[in-house]
Amino acid sequence: MNNDINIGLGFRREIADEFLTGTSIKPDFIEVAPENWMDMGGYWHAKFREATEKYPLILHGLSLSIGSPEEPDWAFLKKLKPFLNEFNVEIYSEHLSFAKLDNAHLYDLLPIPFKQDSIKHVVKRIKQVQDFLEMRIAIENVSYYTPVDAEVTEDVFVKQIVEQADCNLLLDVNNVYVNSFNHKYDAEKFIDRMPLDKVRYIHMAGHHKISDELIIDTHGEAIIHPVYELFDYTLSKMDRNVPILLERDFNFPEMEELQKEMKNLRNICIKNQEQDVILS
Amino acid sequence: MLYSAKTYDSQQRLSRWVRTGENADVPGTTAEGLKQYRRLFRNNINNTLTQAYPISLEVLSNEQWNKMVDGFYANHDAQTPHVWKLPFEFYQFARESDYAQKYGFPFLNDLLYFEWLEIDVYTMPNKYPEPFKENGDAMNDLIEVNREYSLERLEYPVHLYAAKESLNHKGNYFLLTYRTPKDFEVKFLDMPPLHVLFFEKISNERLTASQIIDQLLVQNNEIPKEQLAQNILGFIQTMMEEKVFLGFSENYLN
Ligand SMILES: [Fe+2]
Repeated sequence: MNNDINIGLGFRREIADEFLTGTSIKPDFIEVAPENWMDMGGYWHAKFREATEKYPLILHGLSLSIGSPEEPDWAFLKKLKPFLNEFNVEIYSEHLSFAKLDNAHLYDLLPIPFKQDSIKHVVKRIKQVQDFLEMRIAIENVSYYTPVDAEVTEDVFVKQIVEQADCNLLLDVNNVYVNSFNHKYDAEKFIDRMPLDKVRYIHMAGHHKISDELIIDTHGEAIIHPVYELFDYTLSKMDRNVPILLERDFNFPEMEELQKEMKNLRNICIKNQEQDVILS
Repeated sequence: MLYSAKTYDSQQRLSRWVRTGENADVPGTTAEGLKQYRRLFRNNINNTLTQAYPISLEVLSNEQWNKMVDGFYANHDAQTPHVWKLPFEFYQFARESDYAQKYGFPFLNDLLYFEWLEIDVYTMPNKYPEPFKENGDAMNDLIEVNREYSLERLEYPVHLYAAKESLNHKGNYFLLTYRTPKDFEVKFLDMPPLHVLFFEKISNERLTASQIIDQLLVQNNEIPKEQLAQNILGFIQTMMEEKVFLGFSENYLN
């Protein structure tokens, strides 16, 4: 990928053929979870190969569980490293959460307590993983539905980890919106407090509002207007392009709809790029 | 670990709540948030398992199924980072916890395993054949076997009969599950014991059909050689048509 505007889409089995032979969607790159494609043969191995021949690949992991008390899963990382090399993956990102505890995978992203000792712990884990993979990884701010025994705010937690671990940030703008709604904080102020110079990658998605009090981060709906606005605001604070992903995991609409969403994202990028040119 | 004992304890409480639904007094949380985590966790695992085991799901009552799934995530420490491999751990858990006995469905272990085999063979890493040609001498050339298969013994023929009907046919069955080259379809074949003997030799030893027939005759001299050869020849032809045998090896015997 070059330094231009790049808008990607998650490569999902339900719409795999649209990526390979369809004409409606034209992403600049694709993103997958390595856990869903590593070790896999047969039909999906063939489809995945085909996709990686056509599009640049970004990886967004599920099982690293950077917030686990236990050591990183070295056996998994040993398999991941050649996978990254094989497909020329420039960005490997993971969630700032834990998905494994006491040697049991939970396949769910649970919130790490926002505490000083957690920051120290997670920073050490990220460094261990980066040393092993010999690359910077990008850590994503996750949506969470309850804090756990918090002593610092989420923005402090994210910022300190990213800065101290010297890793990149995958800024999920929809997650910022969802969390600001659920936990009643100002989304723009949250963006202001992020280390935007560390942002390597941005996620955008739709969500599901289940009550006046609660939004669930589902990736099953179209992006809503306030999230586009927050995205626009974020880009206005940044002075360079990073890849932008449209996350859509189920409840797939017509492909034209997804293409339209990608186009909306591109237009906002173009607008901000032009403004940067005017300002400089 | 740089977590304080208290932080680690909070994480353990949260994980226990998510896995069991038992009130774990997770400090500094909201009841509504906790409820969502439990719901999302259960949905995720339950979806993965119901997609993997549609037949078992139908055979069991909802209550039986839910009890088994609840027991699974409360008691089993999932080991695989790949959630699509989790159904195998569920099968192991069900067998070890003896739900077949508890529910009075003796065929349950075989049924779960049968359903898992379809996923296992569909997703198994590619195993590429040696160079082969289509035509050859079925008796005297080496046969190239499709390596993308699994051969298992079942007590209940859940691959031949509806699950409950299989109870009336308890015995010794061999099930070959394999993946066809190019179109990657998973197929099942019931294999009689004689053909299992032949198949294991042809896929694991560098022997020709006629060499194997000679060995089989030593073990069992009740079948006339001519009849056995005819039988095996028919088997080879079927296996070639079914793409279990791919053709004849280009690597000649030395
Ligand atoms: Fe995301």
